[in-house]
Amino acid sequence: MMSKANNFIFIVLKIIAWVIFVGLCIEAAALLVNFIFAVFNPELVSRLYQKMDLSDLYKNNKWAFYQTYLFILSTAILKAVLFYWVIKLLHKLNLSSPFTESVSKQIIQISYYTLVIGLLGLIGHESIKKFFINPDLRYEIRTFLGDSEAFILMGAVIYIIAVIFKKGVALQHENELTV
Amino acid sequence: MAIIVNLDVMMAKRKMSLNELSEKVGLTLSNLSILKTGKAKAIRFSTLEAICKVLDCQPGDILEFVD
Repeated sequence: MMSKANNFIFIVLKIIAWVIFVGLCIEAAALLVNFIFAVFNPELVSRLYQKMDLSDLYKNNKWAFYQTYLFILSTAILKAVLFYWVIKLLHKLNLSSPFTESVSKQIIQISYYTLVIGLLGLIGHESIKKFFINPDLRYEIRTFLGDSEAFILMGAVIYIIAVIFKKGVALQHENELTV
Repeated sequence: MAIIVNLDVMMAKRKMSLNELSEKVGLTLSNLSILKTGKAKAIRFSTLEAICKVLDCQPGDILEFVD
């Protein structure tokens, strides 16, 4: 049986996950709009929600510009997708009998997304180093790429939990078929 | 599966229905059905003991190893 405290924590977690998901969707969409304006109408970039102006980079080195945006956009979109899966998991998870095949698959999927975000962030950090001399702009871009080391660590931990959870599902299945 | 459950054979020999066995052994019908159809992954000694007592047989009469 689920205790009252667990129930409360679960509801709070669901609300937090929804808020973060909406925030990440807005951020991803804003970055996408930013990218489109940076390519087609750079004068308007300073008036946008995310004021990351890479138009100088676009003029000087298009390859670097697209590469930087590729990392920023893919990380932002993947973060939103990650939280979509987290929300789906939180809605599907039944704490009184949590060991199901679908929950196990979703946890593994979440670990993969987290690892990919971390790796993309790490590669992104390394690749932008050579394009940006301006430390302020470099710092700004790093904030969009997120803390890659933390994501990789989190992904590894979630993966270990997912593997243990999978074993739990197998044990529950065996227990159900023991008469 | 190398282990075959001959519960239905013993039940037929004793002329006992699944419902009757379920009541006497104290197992649910679904669990007995899992055992009878060979879907069970394990059987507790207590369950085996109860079935043997009710059907008046040996564990070897219910479980058989086939290579």
